[in-house]
Amino acid sequence: MQKKEHNVVGQYTGRLDAFGKVTGRALYAADRCFPGMLYGAVLRSPYPHARILQISTNAATRKKGVIAALTASDIPGARVFGVVVKNQSVMAEDKVRFIGDGVAIVAALTEREAREAVGLIRVEYKLLPAVFDVEEAMKPDAPRIHQGDNVFIHHKVRRGSIEKGFQEAEVILKRSYRTQRIEHSYLEPEAALALPLPGDGIKIECCAQNAYSTRRSVSEVLGIPMNRVEIEQATMGGSFGGKDEVMTSLCCRAALLALKTGRPVKMVNTREESFLESYKRHPYILYYKIGAKKNGRLTAIEARIIADAGAYASMSPFVTWRSAVQAAGPYECLNVKTDAFAVYTNQAYTGAMRGFGSPQVNFAIESLMDELAQELNLDPLELRLKNCFTEGSVTATGQKLNPGVSLKEVLQKAAGEMKWEMKRALYEGEKRNQDYIKRGIGLACSYRGVSLGAEGIDAAATVVSVQSDGSVIMWSGISDMGQGAQTAQAIIASEVLGISPDRITFFPVNTSRISDSGPTVASRGTIMGGSAAKKGAETVRDSMLKEASIILDESIDNLIMYNNWIFSSKNRTKKTSFSALAGECFNRGVKLFGFGWHKSPSTTWDEKTGQGQAYFTFVYGCNVAEVEVDTETGQVKVIRIAAAHDVGKAINRAGVEGQIYGGLVMGMGYGLMEEFSIQEGEPQCYNFDEYLIPTACDIPDMKAIIVENPDPLGPFGAKSIGEPATELAAPAILNAICHATGKRIRELPADLEKVLLDHKLKRISKRGSEEK
Amino acid sequence: MLPEIKYYKANTVEETVHILAQNKHAIRILAGGTDLLPELRSEKQNRKVIILDISSIKLLNKIEDEGHFIRIGALVKHSQMVESILLGRHAGFLTQASSLVGSAQIRNRGTLGGNICNAAPCADTLPPLVALDAELTLESSSGNRTELLSGFIRGAYKTNRANDEFLTWIRFKKLPEGCRSNFIKLGRREALSIARLQVAACGMIDSNNKICYIRIVPGSTTPNVFRFTEVEEYLLGNEPSERLFSKAGDMVARKMVEITGVRWSTEYKKPVIAALVRRSLQAIFNLKPGVAVK
Amino acid sequence: MKIEIKVNNKRYCLEIEHNLTLLDLLRDELGLTGTKRGCEIGECGACTVIMNGDAVNSCLVLAPQADGSEIFTVEGLEENGELSILQKAFIEHEAVHCGFCTPGMLMSAKALLDKNPHPTEEEIKIAISGNLCRCTGYKQIIEAIKSVSNQ
Repeated sequence: MQKKEHNVVGQYTGRLDAFGKVTGRALYAADRCFPGMLYGAVLRSPYPHARILQISTNAATRKKGVIAALTASDIPGARVFGVVVKNQSVMAEDKVRFIGDGVAIVAALTEREAREAVGLIRVEYKLLPAVFDVEEAMKPDAPRIHQGDNVFIHHKVRRGSIEKGFQEAEVILKRSYRTQRIEHSYLEPEAALALPLPGDGIKIECCAQNAYSTRRSVSEVLGIPMNRVEIEQATMGGSFGGKDEVMTSLCCRAALLALKTGRPVKMVNTREESFLESYKRHPYILYYKIGAKKNGRLTAIEARIIADAGAYASMSPFVTWRSAVQAAGPYECLNVKTDAFAVYTNQAYTGAMRGFGSPQVNFAIESLMDELAQELNLDPLELRLKNCFTEGSVTATGQKLNPGVSLKEVLQKAAGEMKWEMKRALYEGEKRNQDYIKRGIGLACSYRGVSLGAEGIDAAATVVSVQSDGSVIMWSGISDMGQGAQTAQAIIASEVLGISPDRITFFPVNTSRISDSGPTVASRGTIMGGSAAKKGAETVRDSMLKEASIILDESIDNLIMYNNWIFSSKNRTKKTSFSALAGECFNRGVKLFGFGWHKSPSTTWDEKTGQGQAYFTFVYGCNVAEVEVDTETGQVKVIRIAAAHDVGKAINRAGVEGQIYGGLVMGMGYGLMEEFSIQEGEPQCYNFDEYLIPTACDIPDMKAIIVENPDPLGPFGAKSIGEPATELAAPAILNAICHATGKRIRELPADLEKVLLDHKLKRISKRGSEEK
Repeated sequence: MLPEIKYYKANTVEETVHILAQNKHAIRILAGGTDLLPELRSEKQNRKVIILDISSIKLLNKIEDEGHFIRIGALVKHSQMVESILLGRHAGFLTQASSLVGSAQIRNRGTLGGNICNAAPCADTLPPLVALDAELTLESSSGNRTELLSGFIRGAYKTNRANDEFLTWIRFKKLPEGCRSNFIKLGRREALSIARLQVAACGMIDSNNKICYIRIVPGSTTPNVFRFTEVEEYLLGNEPSERLFSKAGDMVARKMVEITGVRWSTEYKKPVIAALVRRSLQAIFNLKPGVAVK
Repeated sequence: MKIEIKVNNKRYCLEIEHNLTLLDLLRDELGLTGTKRGCEIGECGACTVIMNGDAVNSCLVLAPQADGSEIFTVEGLEENGELSILQKAFIEHEAVHCGFCTPGMLMSAKALLDKNPHPTEEEIKIAISGNLCRCTGYKQIIEAIKSVSNQ
C-alpha cells in the first residue's frame, strides 16, 4: 500500500452543511420566526443628495398595526458606524447621500402594514447639487459629500526611480482602462431578526458576513456593551464580500426596533431593496504607463487609479490599498510608482467584493501586458515568463517573496492544458478566413497577498470539543457563507485527531461564544480558521494521547491516531477506539476541549514610502481562456477556460474545484455581461431581469488545475482560493477577444455593443437619442 | 408583495365574457401569470386590483389541426408548443421561438395568448406569428371578432383589445409544403434573456430555383411587429445568393431606421439586424449550414 | 377564499387571502421554508417547485390558481426517510455551496429527470437555466444531475 501523505486532508469528500441544504431543513435568517414577532421596513431616500429639513412619522404611527416608527433622532448611541472611517449613517440624520440611503424605519404587526406605513412617513428635503462622475468629484469646486475632501484616500507605492525607468525604456505605452460597478448577486437577500434578551441585551440572528464588526456597531449604536449584543449567524445564502456594512445597518435597525418595542423584529430585504441599498464592486479608472526594453524586460510601471467609492467610505481604504500594492502585477520591475485614490460620489457606495481591488488592477495590467507583447512582437506568454516573479523576487513594495513562488509553474500548466502555442498559431492563421466567427486564446496571471496583510491584526479562533462518546463539536469565529469554511476546518481537525469529519457537528458563528476572529474576508478562512482548528485539535490530541499512552502502556511517540482508532505502530494489538478513549478520558477528568488561537506573522507598511512587507504570504494563479467572437453581432462565447492556482495544499479538493468554477463564472460575468449602471444617481437595475449574471447555458468547459506547493505558514501547507479564483477570468477573456478580433477593449464589460463597435453605447434616458 | 386582490375565476369562455362585461373597467386577465405577477408586484400597494383567472378554461388549452390551418388556444403554454409535433412540422420557427422564451419554469406557465396580449416589443412568438399572418379571435359578450395579429398590436405594450374582450384563439395557415422557416434570437446571454434582436423568416424556391415564397419579420426593432413586405417583394423571383441576402439585410436595416429614427442603440442594431436577416435567409435557403445563433 | 391543495402527498384545506403567491402560501402558511424567496419575478428560480408535474416559479403562481393542484417541494424529496439519489448526488458532487439555489435546482432537476431519465448535458443545462447560482459556476450541479441520469 502506498502511503498517503494525509488521511483526511485532500481525501475526504462531502460537506458538513450539505444535508440540511438538500432537504430544505437548513434555516436561513428569513426562514426563522419567533412568537410575537414584528416586521420591520425601511424608508429610503429618493434623492441622490439632499438635506433633510424635517421628518414626520405621525401618520405612520397612527396607522393600524404599526408599533413603532423611528428616525436617527431615536438612536440612543452612535448614529454612524464604519470599520475604517466612521461616517455611515444607520438612518440619515442631516442629509441623504445616495438614492437608497436609509431615512426611517417602522415596525408593524405584518410585513404589509410595515411597508405601507413607510409610505406614510413625510420627509421634507432640500435638494443639494450632486456629483456622479468620479473625476468631477475630485475637482475642488465639486459638491462635498462629507466633511472634508471628496478624495479621502490616497495610497502610494514607490520603488526605484520612475523617471530613470522610463529613460531606460525602449518602448513606452500609455493606456487607460475602465471597469464597471457590479452587484455581488448573492442569491439570498439580506435578512435579520432581532430579539430582545432579558435585561437590556439583544440577540440578532442574521446573515452578516462579519459578525464581530456588526456587533461592535450594534453595541455602539444601541449604547450597550458588547457582551450584551449577541450576533448569531443563520445559514448564509452567499455573500462574496457583500454582507458587511449593508447587514450592519440592517442589524442596527432591527435591534433599534426590537429594543424600542420589546418584541422580536424581523427585517428582510426584497431583491429590489437589496440592489438599491447594498454596496457594489468599485468602478475604477486606471491610467497606466509602462516602459520596457526591446527584449521585453520591464523598466518602469506607473499607475494612477481612481476608485468610485460612492456615498460612504466602507472598505474603500483597504480595497484601494490592495490595488496599490498589486497594481504592477506579478512582475519584476525596479521602478514602480502607483497612486490609488478613493473618491466620494452621490451613488450606491462600493466596498468589499470577492477580489477586493484586484480584479480591476488585474484587468488593467494584464491587458497592458498583452498590448506590450503585441508592440514588441512577443508572445504574451513569453513576455510574462520573461518578467514574472520567481524564487527570491522582490515585489513593488520592496518585499522579498517567501519560497514557493510558483508563477512560472501555474503559467506553464494552464498554457499547457490549453495547448497555448498551437492554438495561438492556429487562430492567428484563421484570421484570414471569411468566416464571421473568429477564435482567440488569451491569458492572465496574478500574485495575490493572502489574508488581511498590513490592513490590521490578523488572528482567529476555533474550538474543538470532544464528547465522551467520541463525537465532536466545533465552532469558530470564521463564517461559513457557503464557501465551505466549516468543512475545511473539520477536515483539518479530523486529520489531527485521526477521525472522520462525519463525527463533527459545527456550530455557526456566535459572537458571545467565541473570541473575535476578525472578518471572514480576504480568503483567510482556511489559512486562519484552519490554523486555529489545527491548534485546537492538537491541544485535544495531546491530552488524549497522553492518556492513551498510560492506558495502552506505550510511549506517545509510537502512538498513531488513524481512522477512528489509536494504536501502537510497534504492536497493532495495542489499540483503542477513539470513542472508547474519549470516554476513558472523560472518566479520568482529562481535558477534551481545545481552544485554538492563531495569529499570523506580522506585516509592515509605511504609508509615506509606499514600501513594506505587505502580506505574510502570497498565492499565484493563471487563467487561459478560449473564445469565439461573432464579429457581426459582438457576441462572445467562452468555449474553454483553464485555471491553475497554487493553493499551497488542497484541504477539500472538490471544494477547491468548486471555488475555482464559481470564481471563473463570476469572473466571466464581470468580463462579458454584468454592469450595475447608475444614471444621475438612479440605479438602472433593480432585479435579476435587468442585472444579468451567467446562467447554466453560458458556462464554458472549465478545467481546474490545483497546484500544491505547501506553505509552512498554512495548516498542512494550505493557503487560499476564494478570491484568486475570480480575479483573472475577465482579463484572460478580454485578451482572447483581442486575439480573435485584433481589437482591444479597454472598458469592462465586453458586451455586444463594445465588441462590435469598439466603444460603449450609452443610454441617456429610457427613450433617448444616441450618445457615445 | 402583491396589492390587495379581488379574485374571479372563469372556467369557460361564457363565464369569462360574462365577468368581463360586468367589470369592464379595471379587470386584469390572469393566464400564466409570468408577466402579470411581476407587474402587480411593482404597483402601488394601496389600490385593489380585480383579477380574472382564465387559466382553467380547458377548451383554450389545445392545439388543433384544421387541415390547411392550425388553431392554437390562447392558454396553450410555450412548453406545449415546443413539444407539439404538428407545430414543429408546419410552423417550425414558432416552435423555435417558444423554446427560447425565458426559462423552463417560464415556458411551463407562460401562455401564447399572454405573450401576444402583453405585446412586449421583444416578445419571442410575435415575429413568427406575424410572419404566418396569424389571425386572432377575440370574444366578448357581444360576440366574437377576428383580427390580424399585425393590426392588433398597436405599439409597445399596446393592443386593440377592448376592456370587455379576451383573446381565445390564434389561427394561421400552415406553411406551404417545402417551405423552410427559421427564428434567430440575439440576447445578452444564452438563457433567461430578453431579446436584443430577433428575426423570423420563412421561404421556398420554385423548380427554377427562384424564390417563390418569402416572409421576413424582424423583432425588437420597431414598436410594432410587421412583415417587411418591400424586402419580401425585392427577394421574390430571384435566385438565392449571398449578395441578394446581404442586400435584403441592408434593406431591413434601412427600413428600421426610417421607422424608429436614430436612437441610442441604432449604431448597434442597424448593422446587426442586417447580418441576422442575411443569416436567416442563408439558413432557410441552405446557403450555409444552420447558423448557431440563439 | 378556500382552496384545496396537495403538497408533498399531504392534502390541505386552507382559507387564504387572494393576494398570496404560491410561494407565500408554502413558506408563510404551511411553514415549508425550504422553498426560497430570491427575486419574486421568476428570474432566479430559487422558489422552483413542481406543480402538476412541471417545474414552475412559485412566486409567479397566484395562490388561488393552485387550487386543486399537486405540489412537490424540496421537503418532499426524501423517500422513506432517506435521501433520494438526486439529493445524495448533490452532496457527493459538491453541488451544494451556499445552498440557497439548491432547493429550486433540485426541483428543476427532478422535473427534468421525471420526464426524461437520461438527459444530455445540453438538456440538463437548459432545464436548470432558469435557476441562478452564484457560487458553483454550475459545473458540479450539472455533474450531479448527470450522475443520476447514468444510474
